[in-house]
Amino acid sequence: MNIRARLEEVSRKGFSWHIDSARSLVNILAALYGYWIPEGEARGVERVVILSKGHGSLALYATYEILGILPRGSIELEFLAAGSRLQSHPESGRLPGILVSSGSLGQGLSIANGIALAARISKRDIEVAVVLGDGELDEGQVWEAIATSSANRLGNVTMLIDRNGIQHSGPTEAVKAKEPLSLKLKAFNWHVVEVADDPASIASVLANIGRIRDLPKAVIVNTWQGAS
Amino acid sequence: MSSSRVFGGSYRRALARALVDLGKDIENLVVLDADTMSSTGSLEFSRRFPERFVNVGISEQDLIGTAAGMAVAGLRPVAVAFSSFIMRAWEQIRNTISRDSLDVTIVGTHAGLSDYMDGSSHQALEDIALMRVLPGFTVAVPADEVATYALTRALIEESRGPSYMRIGRDNAPKVYERGEEFKIGECKVHEDGSDAVIMAIGPMVGAAMEVSRILGKRGLSVGVVDVYSIKPVDEHCIVKKAKDSGLVVTLEEHNVHAGLGGLVAEILSEKLPRRIYRIGVRDRFGTSARSYEELLRFMGLDPCSVAKSLTEVLSLGAKVC
Repeated sequence: MNIRARLEEVSRKGFSWHIDSARSLVNILAALYGYWIPEGEARGVERVVILSKGHGSLALYATYEILGILPRGSIELEFLAAGSRLQSHPESGRLPGILVSSGSLGQGLSIANGIALAARISKRDIEVAVVLGDGELDEGQVWEAIATSSANRLGNVTMLIDRNGIQHSGPTEAVKAKEPLSLKLKAFNWHVVEVADDPASIASVLANIGRIRDLPKAVIVNTWQGAS
Repeated sequence: MSSSRVFGGSYRRALARALVDLGKDIENLVVLDADTMSSTGSLEFSRRFPERFVNVGISEQDLIGTAAGMAVAGLRPVAVAFSSFIMRAWEQIRNTISRDSLDVTIVGTHAGLSDYMDGSSHQALEDIALMRVLPGFTVAVPADEVATYALTRALIEESRGPSYMRIGRDNAPKVYERGEEFKIGECKVHEDGSDAVIMAIGPMVGAAMEVSRILGKRGLSVGVVDVYSIKPVDEHCIVKKAKDSGLVVTLEEHNVHAGLGGLVAEILSEKLPRRIYRIGVRDRFGTSARSYEELLRFMGLDPCSVAKSLTEVLSLGAKVC
């Protein structure tokens, strides 16, 4: 079974909280957890992931089950259960690899920058990947952080944007146009790549941009679901 | 004694010294600021340890998030900015720093009425209320330069989990001698008062001592307690001093709702129900003024006005100053 199949399985059983937001994360998480983190580990580079769009948690928990970090069936037993490890928005300390609690949008990139700066100060080789939703880009703090990444030339920060074209109140472009997104990020002095929504392509892009050390990197993943 | 001689010290200079000394002692200490280094007192640290200082520019939400990330990665961050503007990041403080119990110290400067020139937008009168309702947060309010230096050290060296320290600007009274020790979770009693006890914080501790002197000349016994540790608070001290006194008064450069007054009322209502006379800013905003003393007089928080209010409350009606 793979991540997508597991996600669809729990969804059919009624565990479909923010399911669209979870579906668009599947290939991104597959690439990060299945390729990017282990590849770094093999070379002695510590890589951490922050899921800034915490409401995509079902995809993360499905990924953890497939990877064996959680026993199969954990979602049915624990998701949303009071006080459980599988909170609706992932919380730090409850599961391995969840460094910071999420739920409030717009904060992940600032936190990623903090980790990246700390790595530089303590001379540790740490790379941070932070996953944002495209609706999340409405939050002003994201742009504060985008400027900080750039001002500090944080080459160890990679921001992946799940560009699914939808947010809670409707299509992203109808609420507040995110386009021209790539141009906006380049204007902030980021290295920007756009990639199709499949795990191999995403993994390949992550490998390629690894050589860029002096600019923060944005990977816009085309997970478009929204009606135009 | 004129007010200008009461409030002659500088909180931010004491903060500056504390941060530099801590920077020497603690290798993983990092300081962050939001464009205001030359105002807040983090400038000296930034010059002395540039590799351990981050300026995020005018971005307080980013300030808090970046500090949080540094704590997650094992450094010991101190985020410094104006109290008022730290509060635009209150949600980030709540949802990341408080929820995850991160070892981050936040220093809010220019609090209360200290920033007389910048006016109501800058005069933070709600920050104690906002911070003491966050689970696991330590909240401290030093009365003077000595306390600022000592409490900055105590919060960073001894305290675990998140902490908030509120300081003024250049309006510090002289309350303590150098070397005075401060423990989180305690209070300091300056004098006992059988007629009244003023529980005060920050510069108002100096004001309270002046009030005690003024009323002492009229034969009144007015005690002063410095409740520098708002959270955790020394409930035992508050109850004991209230018990020994005829009237409990709280005095703060903060809204009369939900700050020190609210805290003391919460404790005494449960442990020793008493009438409490809360003196502070009566649910209004500040204003620009040409001096700190002028602002205190305008708001009725200068020692003479406070003394007069107390004599009214104690039904004395005598001319005191």
